[in-house]
Amino acid sequence: MSTQPPLIEAENLSVKYSNGDLALEDVTFTIDSSTFLAVIGPNGSGKSTLLKTMLGLLKPNEGSIKVLGYDAKRAYKTIRHLVRYVPQRDQIEHTVPMKVKDIVLMGRLLKKPPPRFSTTKDSECAKAALHRVGLDELWNQPFPELSGGQRQRVLVARALAGEGPVMMLDEPMSGADHDSQVRIVEALQEYYNENQVNIIMVTHDLNPIHMVVKDVLMLNRTVMGVGHPCAIMDLDLVKQVYGPTAKIVELDGHKYCITHDSGIDRHDH
Amino acid sequence: MIIDIISLIASSPVMQRALLATVLVAVIAATSGTFMVFRGLSFLTSGVAHAALGGASLGLFLQATGIAPWFDPILGAVIFAVFVALLTAYAGERGVAQRMEVAVGVSFALSMSLAVFLMYYLPPTMIPQIWGYLIGDILLLDNLDIVLLVGTALSLVLLVILFKKEFVYVSIDMEGSTAHGMNARGYHYLMLIFAAVAIALTTKAVGAILVYAVLVAPAAASNEILKTVNSVIIGVFVIALASMLAGLAGSFTILASPSAIAGLIAALSYIIAIQIKRFTRKD
Repeated sequence: MSTQPPLIEAENLSVKYSNGDLALEDVTFTIDSSTFLAVIGPNGSGKSTLLKTMLGLLKPNEGSIKVLGYDAKRAYKTIRHLVRYVPQRDQIEHTVPMKVKDIVLMGRLLKKPPPRFSTTKDSECAKAALHRVGLDELWNQPFPELSGGQRQRVLVARALAGEGPVMMLDEPMSGADHDSQVRIVEALQEYYNENQVNIIMVTHDLNPIHMVVKDVLMLNRTVMGVGHPCAIMDLDLVKQVYGPTAKIVELDGHKYCITHDSGIDRHDH
Repeated sequence: MIIDIISLIASSPVMQRALLATVLVAVIAATSGTFMVFRGLSFLTSGVAHAALGGASLGLFLQATGIAPWFDPILGAVIFAVFVALLTAYAGERGVAQRMEVAVGVSFALSMSLAVFLMYYLPPTMIPQIWGYLIGDILLLDNLDIVLLVGTALSLVLLVILFKKEFVYVSIDMEGSTAHGMNARGYHYLMLIFAAVAIALTTKAVGAILVYAVLVAPAAASNEILKTVNSVIIGVFVIALASMLAGLAGSFTILASPSAIAGLIAALSYIIAIQIKRFTRKD
């Protein structure tokens, strides 16, 4: 057993939306480090809220959540120093003429104090990260002119280029074409295997990353299940979370969940 | 003809001030207007220019009625501009440009209504001073106007040199920047407040018409066709300067306000930029 603090430790956590509705209620769970964690659940189940609360972007209404032993309410500055984050795609504006390299370099320069000059090492890390998502040739291209899938790959590269023991990704595959989704999963899997890093991915569809993740947290305003991917795929549980039309299919000894939501591109607000 | 103009400039302090102001306003457009367009907030420019009008009329009202004789109209203009910036920045804390547009719209209406309201209680001799904020004239600048413009332009250049990356990061991805430990909220407020004060002081110096003319359209035009942040900044400077010089030159040959001609040319630059973009698009 390691003496390291757990990656996430939530105790009786409740968080409200700005309109006063509860987004998360009485959430208690522990996830050990290091892991590749998928946070799943239907739309509006509080997945993104959980990420934002871990980052101190939203404040708990009750209870607490700790990331690597640091309380998100008090020590959010330390947590942000440890984290690299890929926000939901609708958070990214395309009003600034940035090149792909500028976006990837952001992952490193954001952690520096102003004037945030980039060194040769920063460029090398950024190039290596862009290589991981298979977009080397776009280094000098304008970011706003890329396709949705390419943009998502660049944003994942931005996180890969950075440093810090925790990567958080909020629906990184939403709006991405199939090829881009595959590249993103492969890049994350490869990076996870080669580095001492924790990956937390919020997704509405577990199936594309079923074989890659180590732990799954299933939310529906509160914790519905925590465990290994196949352990979570229990018919009664998924019907309870996704409604009576949800099904479990078995393929090559693994269980997958089919819901009315599978493969459909939607996300929480 | 050209020789006539040059000798006119050399001998006339009015023309010297106008030319200096032209360069300074182009610098202000390149630094402030550019980042407002990046932030999706070009509307803030018009909002603040009108808020300055409301603030200036409040200042005149307080002076005329003897309630606060020390309350200079410029002070009122700056306070109102900062108010609009704070309201807009607060609305946009979560990073969404759309909400900020509403905040600008509301404060725009508020300050413009206040200006018109107060006009009924001001001695008629003071009314032209209020309209001076709106119309302005680059050929009628005094030394205070030049001092205001120099101060504004220098502060903005310094701010952009220091925090260009931060302003760009806030514009692209406010949430991600915060999550990575940058004080995005702080830079968001800094950027909007500085832009607002700059717009208010520029409005006082050259009038709101010229402010709309060269702080919005050249930035929008450059941002349509240029591919890097630095080239957009330079592009804005060039388009703004060319529009204003053409405005000055044009006002000698045809009987029209230099600001109006500059505004027409700057607006035309945006239309041309969109056409260029349409023709060079590769799909």
